[in-house]
Amino acid sequence: MANIAGKTDEQLIVEKHIANFHKGFAYWPRAEEAPPALGDSRWTQDLILATWLMAETGQVPDNGLEYKIGASGGGFDVLDFNIPSQDQWLPADTEIDLSLPLNRRDDGAQLKINIPMYGGGMSYGSISEHVMQARARAAQHLGTFTSTGEGGYPPSLVPYKDHIITQVATGMFGVREETIQYAPIVEFKYAQGAKPGLGGHLLGDKATDVVAAMRESVPWVSLFSPFPFHSVYSVEDHRKHVDWIRTTNPRALVSVKVSTPTDVDMVAVGSYFAGAHIVHLDGSYGGTGAAPEIAKKNIAMPIEFAIPKVHKYLVSENVREEVTLMASGGVRTAYDVAKAIALGADGCVMGTAELIAIGCTRCSNCERGRGCPFGLTTTDPLLQQLMPADWGQQRIVNMYNAYAIQLRDLLRKLGLKSIRELRGRRDLLRYVG
Amino acid sequence: MPEHREAAAGYHRYHIPTQPAPDIEKWPSRFKVKVRRSGLAKLLIKEVFHYRGRKDVILSRPCMYGVFSGPVGGFMPREEHCVGCLRCTTEFPEFVRIEHNPERRSLGDSYFTFNYVDQIAYEASSGLVPVRGAGYRGKFGGEGWDGMWTDMSEIVRPTRDGIHGRETISTVVDIGFTPNYLEFDPSGQPTGSTPHYLSIQLPIVLDAPQTELAAGVARIYARTAAELDTLVVLPFEYTTGLGEFGDAIVPVVRPEHARRLGQLGFTPRIIEMQGWDEALYAAITTAFPLAIVALRTGFEETDALVSYAQRGIKVFHLLADYHGRSADGGFVLDLIRGAHTAFVDAGIREEVTLLGSGGMIAAEHMPKAMICGLDAVAVDTPLLVALQARFGGECSARGASSFRLPTDLNEAWGVQRLKNLCASWRDQLLEILGAMGLREVRRLRGEMGRAMFMKTLEADAFAGLLGYTEASNG
Repeated sequence: MANIAGKTDEQLIVEKHIANFHKGFAYWPRAEEAPPALGDSRWTQDLILATWLMAETGQVPDNGLEYKIGASGGGFDVLDFNIPSQDQWLPADTEIDLSLPLNRRDDGAQLKINIPMYGGGMSYGSISEHVMQARARAAQHLGTFTSTGEGGYPPSLVPYKDHIITQVATGMFGVREETIQYAPIVEFKYAQGAKPGLGGHLLGDKATDVVAAMRESVPWVSLFSPFPFHSVYSVEDHRKHVDWIRTTNPRALVSVKVSTPTDVDMVAVGSYFAGAHIVHLDGSYGGTGAAPEIAKKNIAMPIEFAIPKVHKYLVSENVREEVTLMASGGVRTAYDVAKAIALGADGCVMGTAELIAIGCTRCSNCERGRGCPFGLTTTDPLLQQLMPADWGQQRIVNMYNAYAIQLRDLLRKLGLKSIRELRGRRDLLRYVG
Repeated sequence: MPEHREAAAGYHRYHIPTQPAPDIEKWPSRFKVKVRRSGLAKLLIKEVFHYRGRKDVILSRPCMYGVFSGPVGGFMPREEHCVGCLRCTTEFPEFVRIEHNPERRSLGDSYFTFNYVDQIAYEASSGLVPVRGAGYRGKFGGEGWDGMWTDMSEIVRPTRDGIHGRETISTVVDIGFTPNYLEFDPSGQPTGSTPHYLSIQLPIVLDAPQTELAAGVARIYARTAAELDTLVVLPFEYTTGLGEFGDAIVPVVRPEHARRLGQLGFTPRIIEMQGWDEALYAAITTAFPLAIVALRTGFEETDALVSYAQRGIKVFHLLADYHGRSADGGFVLDLIRGAHTAFVDAGIREEVTLLGSGGMIAAEHMPKAMICGLDAVAVDTPLLVALQARFGGECSARGASSFRLPTDLNEAWGVQRLKNLCASWRDQLLEILGAMGLREVRRLRGEMGRAMFMKTLEADAFAGLLGYTEASNG
């Protein structure tokens, strides 16, 4: 019998549910039948369970779970790789390089990430501080980055600042001189894929005292960030934004996160000419803590269509080798990452996959009341304890380890020694729709 | 008070008052919650010993939404509270199982699927824009509405700010005739055609069934239309006694009504002819010379529309079936584009108004239909669903579909449900317009350059890939 003496009821309740969760996360991926109500077209039962398994083991699932594609019937799900015959594969012991330089310009720090992925912005308030810590620690361990999102920069993240991107979004929450100076990369969020053309949404129930304090707002009042930046109506205005960041932190790289309108190619080129080191395209099927359903499905194009459009245009403008193109918004698996790169991206920004690794079931109740029942998208004092940061960190690291194994295996079979060689290799893709 | 001040003081920003209007008929819960009682009993016994009777710990439940908060907890779960988070089945996989409720999934029909029914029910009961966490969950794209995305503006947009109370985006649309240009005589007086239209506050017209079902909803629809400052299209037979809402009512007349037009208890501002009939048209214009005459006809008639315009019809109410199909199988999205283009090609698109009905069953279909060329959407089945009508099998044919309205349907509740639905759709329209940087909905009409179609995008992105052909995406 476990020792319960000296523990408060709250401690015991938290321990009880954590133990149950961990049991369930281990049980379901190995069960003969998946939970009937789990999953949807984009994140199928198999994808969710496979992600749980990868997050537990750090290995590629070998029990029949489909871990490469979903069942959406389009985009990444109708693409596959042309794997050549085995005699053309690289030897099994070939060193495959997954690292990705993020700065292709002459100015600023020459940053490189060890895997072609980093974590996307998730704001304090939309997710718990524990989740932010887990993501930051995982980024540090993996040699990559994660982003603050637009809700401010909790002091508990400062120890990991070399791996944290400070996001400057239209609400300007938590944007201070020191949070800009902490950052190796500053990301302007002009738009978000899940709600293109709309500002961030944090509904009142989740704007708790601590969240409001961080955002310098009024507790329990919904926060709808404006759109767009009211100081930016042109590329020249955007250039002033970049200059402002450079003045505050000359060594920071500048990333520009945009959504995917019809003229996304023009937007990308404009961002480059305004001084961006990284252009981050966020496609319309991206994740969110809260967004109008009408925006998720209907506004702006999916990332699979935006990547080649932008890549081709950057090539035609002779600037492709001077800018890093990161893609997000519906990138769910290692194979999605590889397909995005083959379509023309340099790397990917991950969000939902990380949350699923730490227990998300994609039930879409993130915005409701106290927030996530699994303790992820919540700042409820009790609920957020359900996802301890150290456990979350390891789960995220494990998931990326499994991704890295898959990417190295794929590149070896394609005869490529580096992830950078995959970029724009549409000839290695085939359409299976 | 100076006149201009008086006018300014009289200004009010258009607003639809919403208030909760919960379901009056209990619908099946979204999920079935199955708990094996022996498993739960064993757990409780085990935890009593394990936690040495510490009640709060033992009774700490895995559900935040109240499914296990009834008097006997998990022994009698309250399924109506389940939101499908799956925390319980994750924590107790050995004896808790959450399933989709097949009864709930059977609501609607093969086109108006339960997802749409759920969405309408939420909108009609709350008046709110559905906002949820996590990303999009559905299919990648698809046919029809699902294969179309609207544009957004990234940064270059000084006209933004319409939502969340900062600046107005107008949703006013004009129904009627506007000449391409005005002509004046030497003294400055207009000659020739002059504008003849009325304005409604939102691009939603209520379209009642042209069957006996209209008897049960006519008064609800008419009052709603009047309160929303829009229009309701009602069968001639069911306009009796609704004179107080006369300005909002568009009676639908057929040739057999020609001699009874005087029996209308009001003077309509618009009157709709069911199909073209020369004699009926003459009778209408004689009886109601100031009324705008609209033609209600199927999309199959697209080739003839321009000729009807030349004969005097300036408002066209084009119909697909409830599944958005024309008699020859075309889908409403393409049909709208066809009709719009016919008038553009004839050089008279600005002179006419196009309303459309059929297959437009969600808020997002409204802006998409307008981008394809409609001036306003005449909403049909969603209104019935908002009133909790149940489908009797497949409901596609306009005259032969069976809907069952709730037995205790009442006017006050019905009006509020429809107002809530319209408020929600209007607010969602504002989201789309705001994202596109448009300050008035009239600019949306025919803005094909601000739409993206899956066929085109996929061809641009995937052409040249092994296995991809034009036929791949239909």
